[in-house]
Amino acid sequence: MSLHKPTTRRAARHLVLALAAAQLAAPTRATAQAQAQAQEDLRPPQVVQRSEAIYPPAALAERREASVTLEVTVDTSGRVGDPKVFESGGKEFDDAAMAAVSQWAFTPAEESGKPVAARIRIPFAFRLPPLPPPELATPPGPPATARPPAQGEAGAEHPAVETPAKQEGEELEATVRGRARPRSRGASDYDVTVGQLSLVPRKTAAELLKLAPGILLSNEGGEGHANQVFLRGFDAREGQDVEFSVAGVPANQVGNPHGNGYADLNFIIPEVVSSLRVLEGPYDPRQGNFAVAGSAEYELGFEERGVGLQVGYGSYATRRVLALWGPPGSSSRTFGAAEFYETDGFGKNRDATRGSAIGQYEGHLGETTYRLTLQGYSARWHSAGVIREDDLGAGRKAFFDTYDFGQGGNATRFSVSGEIESRSGSVVYRNQVFAILSGARSRENTTGFLLDVQDPQQTLHTQRGDLIDQSTSATTAGIRGFARTSLDAFGRRHEAELGYFARYDVTDGTQYRIEAATNAPYHVDLDLHSQVADIGIYGDLSLNPLSWLTLRGGARLDLFTFDILNRCAVQSVAHPSLTNPPLDASCLDQESFGAHREPVQPATTSSMAFLPRVSALVTPVAHLTFSGSYGKGVRSIDPQFITQDVKTPFASARSIDLGASYTRDLAGTALALRTGVFETKVDKDLIFSESAGRNVLGGSSTRRGLLAAARLTGGFLDESLNVTLVRATFDDTGLLIPYVPDLVVRSDTSVWRRLPWSPGGVPLVASTGVGVTFVGRRPLPFGDRSDRIVTVDASVSLARRPVRLALTATNLLDAQYRLGEFNYASDFHSQPAPTLVPVRHFTAGAPRQLMLTLEVLLGGGS
Amino acid sequence: MRRARMLLVLALCACGGTGGELVTFHAAAAGPADSVSGQPFVFTNALGYQVTLTRARLHIGGVYLNRSVPSSGSQATSCVLPGIYSGQVTSPLDVDVISPDAQPFPADGEGTTDRSQTGEIWLFGTAVDATDDRTVLADVAGTAVQGTGTPIEFTGKFTIGQNRAVPVGNPALPGSSPLCKQRIVTPISVDFALAQGGTLLVRVDPRAWFRNVDFAQIAADPDNPAQRKFLDRSQGQPDLAFYGGLRAASGTYLFNWQSP
Repeated sequence: MSLHKPTTRRAARHLVLALAAAQLAAPTRATAQAQAQAQEDLRPPQVVQRSEAIYPPAALAERREASVTLEVTVDTSGRVGDPKVFESGGKEFDDAAMAAVSQWAFTPAEESGKPVAARIRIPFAFRLPPLPPPELATPPGPPATARPPAQGEAGAEHPAVETPAKQEGEELEATVRGRARPRSRGASDYDVTVGQLSLVPRKTAAELLKLAPGILLSNEGGEGHANQVFLRGFDAREGQDVEFSVAGVPANQVGNPHGNGYADLNFIIPEVVSSLRVLEGPYDPRQGNFAVAGSAEYELGFEERGVGLQVGYGSYATRRVLALWGPPGSSSRTFGAAEFYETDGFGKNRDATRGSAIGQYEGHLGETTYRLTLQGYSARWHSAGVIREDDLGAGRKAFFDTYDFGQGGNATRFSVSGEIESRSGSVVYRNQVFAILSGARSRENTTGFLLDVQDPQQTLHTQRGDLIDQSTSATTAGIRGFARTSLDAFGRRHEAELGYFARYDVTDGTQYRIEAATNAPYHVDLDLHSQVADIGIYGDLSLNPLSWLTLRGGARLDLFTFDILNRCAVQSVAHPSLTNPPLDASCLDQESFGAHREPVQPATTSSMAFLPRVSALVTPVAHLTFSGSYGKGVRSIDPQFITQDVKTPFASARSIDLGASYTRDLAGTALALRTGVFETKVDKDLIFSESAGRNVLGGSSTRRGLLAAARLTGGFLDESLNVTLVRATFDDTGLLIPYVPDLVVRSDTSVWRRLPWSPGGVPLVASTGVGVTFVGRRPLPFGDRSDRIVTVDASVSLARRPVRLALTATNLLDAQYRLGEFNYASDFHSQPAPTLVPVRHFTAGAPRQLMLTLEVLLGGGS
Repeated sequence: MRRARMLLVLALCACGGTGGELVTFHAAAAGPADSVSGQPFVFTNALGYQVTLTRARLHIGGVYLNRSVPSSGSQATSCVLPGIYSGQVTSPLDVDVISPDAQPFPADGEGTTDRSQTGEIWLFGTAVDATDDRTVLADVAGTAVQGTGTPIEFTGKFTIGQNRAVPVGNPALPGSSPLCKQRIVTPISVDFALAQGGTLLVRVDPRAWFRNVDFAQIAADPDNPAQRKFLDRSQGQPDLAFYGGLRAASGTYLFNWQSP
């Protein structure tokens, strides 16, 4: 969103009011209520260092005066960049003001207690002193120097340049542009600013999720395949239980046969992620379909201005080229980025290639901000899949081996999004439209040669192989928006928002089984044409009935309609006809006694979900907030389970959270602590099925746990630490849910320092980032536990603008670990007789991988 | 508060389970307990022949246990029903079935602690679903005499390949009788739960193979007319009777579980 306030000397007050109305800022009232909101409000930049402007000599000689207003960006470290003349006083005055302001320094603006970039306006008034008596006239001489502006100091003897920033701490008129962020829902609502933690190596943007507690990522499908997400006790597979969005555009695919809600985040270029909101639990009325375990919203932005190029080369012939640009004079939300990546991959059958491009433009027309986001992505990869532990132990297979070289996949995604945000009085309006074209194909073999049983109607065959080939082609269009207003009542400010969401998906999904010997499909498991609509409306209130109490919440109503054409509806025949035997065909045109019927079956249905969500935030003392939240979330049903006129069953979750947070800014170091306990009950959980190669509907389940998180951000250090303990059980048996980690610890540390040398007068900055992940022993079927996982990723870099050299290492200690472990039956023909009982399988974690990256950034500055 | 404390303790101890257990166990096969090691095995069959077995070997491709209780028609089609198996011994073994001594399989078996209800003996050499297989599964030799008649020397080598293929009766169901069904002897009644470190002993009683064999109808061996030889085909009383005994789920194979 954008908010633009007219110039005023009382800008601070106006700014506060305006920003509060837009949920971008908050007052700095020394009240408990203000403290409650402090962590989510915005504080404008504060001047800490000013430099005098030089009065243009010629103008001084000619006794000309002028006013100049500059617009500059104050970045998250307080540096001034991207200066632009907002109101010109003539070139010589403009240049003088520009030269001066480049030397200014600020404490950065803050939003939710975290530094954010801000666009501010600084007026300069070039004023001449009164003419002295002729006998005292000063000869023109050397150019006069304007002292640091001080109001009323336009001295009698000196020319002066006045600005409204008279002393430290006094606020300037500021124009702060950014997407309006929803209010916090308590201790489980993580608004993650990546900031300097970008120094910690991350291969994909999905790994940024680890900055929130309780998240473990896994991937047995190969680079390019969506990450499997474990979130606070949920095995959300590839996103089926987590609602993902990127710049407001949904990322979950409806009707993907690999999983309804499959969310491939590999199209996101990590360098252009500016922030990430992870809400663990369904507590915000804005959360829609798939927000059972929670939601994750990526915001895009690129702080640097200019043109940058990164070239990297690393282990296993991994190559990466990244081009980035941010036009000077524009906000961080205007940028372009393109990435090419290729690797031979560690071990067998792990090569991958991908390309991604993201462009975003943000413009302003008066009080209106508009934004256009374009995105394109294509990838292809192979994957190794699982290895049986007994084959590894017997030397029949190596740790990084594979059984089936046919495994892999490809994906494409192209999207466009347009957004307009405007103000009218105290109401902020936003409307967004988006369209997505996506395709995905995944080939996985988790069971070998086990599932191709001989049906009597089929001609005689041996086991042909269990390679499952799933394809999706989807077209998605949608709109979303809201109107938000604030009102003062009972001496306090309250807010109300009404919003809508509408999405329409047309998806073709197929699943074939591939014969190992011929690589040809021998059976059609699924062939669906789905048209699914989801229309939601919500209302959200933020009330402050007491100075120490904030109540937030509302409700959401979602209508889902399904129009499904099952193109392979008949797969077995009760009484085969002698004259028309079905034999090996998958999609049959008879069901009994040879009577003809078409193999298709249309089905339409609909259902509605009512989703209440409330939170209470209590701030008994400054900096400390207690919170409690309750909410209900839903996951729409997989289209393959739709039956004509049978009301669509939802999987719904009811979740409750109690937590506390403490935020403090101590001498420029921001400290944020959080802790909480939670309970989530799901009526139809998703449980991994190795035979289906995906999660399938299971019974009801409960998750209980606690989490703690800390973030310390200072001038040279950024540390994020989080711990989550969870216990996930089935309600009917009380047994643990397999595969869900009960303990996850993650630490991200970044340290940066300006070195004492400045070659050529340019500062040399060294930095390092370390990420440590610990995952406890995960429960596996049949009472087993997996191994613990400990991995360390690290980077070191040296920067001397415009060049930066970085060396990253993932799995620095080269630990040989099993990323995923599973107990189930498989038969990969590795032993003389069929193997039919459950045994341990694993997917190999990546070994140590090094990558050297050279980065050059030209023509901008930050 | 108590609930929160309990929650913390439960979470910290990472206790609880998902039910069941994966186990490995020792596996062996042997002849009847009343046979004598190193001695011919003598018995009388249902037709009154006194049989003296001097050689009786069985090639077992695998041994399986599953949790299902067979009912009529439930396994009429598929040889393998993924998801029901609770134990397996996948290393093949040639068993001297006229020796009572336990002859261990080359590798331990593995399974789960689910209660096993059905045992299966898989008789194959190359693959259970191979379209043909010439591996000798049963190799027998001995003499048989009925009353005071002339002793009949016999030999036999039995395979399960195309010689055992069952013609398709219903052209609409060409896959109703796959060869794997011939190679799997089931359902053998069992009732136990495997445990880590226990031993599964499969006893094979060759008496059952010959129970209804009319030795007089065995054809003469063309290479040695003094002897008679089973023809290893699905016709003729002796071959059919022997093959029926080989595949008999009751009386031929006995699963004995010894807990650790």
